[in-house]
Amino acid sequence: MKKTATRIFIAAFVVLLTYVPAALAKGDDFNSVVKMIEEFYRVKHVGIPFLAKAGMKVATTAARIKGGEAKRIAEAGSIKLAVFENQDFNGDLTKFRASLNGALNNTWMPLIQTFSATSEEQTYIFLRDAGDKTNVLVVTIADRDATVVQVTLSQKNLALLLKDPEGAGKAITQEATLVDQE
Amino acid sequence: MRSLFQINIRTLFIAVLLIVASALAAKAQDPRLQMGGLDHLAAKASQTVDVNIDERLMKLAARLLSDKAEDEREVKKLVAGLKGIYVKSFEFDTVGQFVAADLEPIRTQLRGTGWTRMVNVTSKKEGNIEVYLQFAGENVNGLAVLVTDDKELTVVNIVGPIDLDKLAQLEGQFGVPELGIESSKSKGKKTNDQ
Repeated sequence: MKKTATRIFIAAFVVLLTYVPAALAKGDDFNSVVKMIEEFYRVKHVGIPFLAKAGMKVATTAARIKGGEAKRIAEAGSIKLAVFENQDFNGDLTKFRASLNGALNNTWMPLIQTFSATSEEQTYIFLRDAGDKTNVLVVTIADRDATVVQVTLSQKNLALLLKDPEGAGKAITQEATLVDQE
Repeated sequence: MRSLFQINIRTLFIAVLLIVASALAAKAQDPRLQMGGLDHLAAKASQTVDVNIDERLMKLAARLLSDKAEDEREVKKLVAGLKGIYVKSFEFDTVGQFVAADLEPIRTQLRGTGWTRMVNVTSKKEGNIEVYLQFAGENVNGLAVLVTDDKELTVVNIVGPIDLDKLAQLEGQFGVPELGIESSKSKGKKTNDQ
């Protein structure tokens, strides 16, 4: 009887070990990416609760998609943002890229990745299915600053993102980081 | 007299052979180019762009773009039926950062079944442009463009029914770079020069 209970416990534990990390990975990739940047480049992101509490709203003026008019891209309340300011991003770009792609490969689809080995600038846009909407993760590392932005897009705005991935990716980052001047 | 076991083993062996052969044939006919062999160039490039729009995303774009707005209607028509757009582009600060051997993994695939190089295709841009179409009978399954210059290397791979006019319209959209493609009247002319 005791043996059976032990077996059931071990089986349950194994099942838990199998499923929990996968669930966590899907739910918390944003934090994982932020942590990965912190560990890889030995940097720290700036807390933004202050900005959020100060009434940061998405900027509508900066979010222009080529061929379209100024509009809000991200779904209201869906923005997750981490900012790294005035820090050194010295590290092997190809290794970082491989690590990032490896970490997100199972749950996210890479849409566009641009990087420069000479200036160390990097931009990554990943997509993830979220039912009738889509999660977009934009990682930008440039000079001494970096941002990680996760937003949810409606299908309509996803189509615009696909039409102009580079432009829309920049617009998403701008939208998340600019304080509305209105 | 052969036993039933021996006959079954032979049948099974032939079935496995057929499956493997058809899988290999399908792979050889795959219009999707594997471009991972170029990734090492990123370490030397001043600018690298890597675009992946797969079939699911293409379908979504085609479905979501509006029929009412004129510009969206045109794009919708353009991407209808396409199964993927994949781009790898490298720009270098100095010449000599890549050699012909770096492109060999791509050329090897383009020498495979179905791929045909289109002649009489030129570009307004400087450098050398090669356009390949993959045919399945009369239908086009995919397209590949190789652009090489002293300081630039770009590979564009579009999967699905596509022609040069469509390609020209896609330039600057869906991650397809400005290729400046021009084809002469005899653009249908093709050669198997591989």
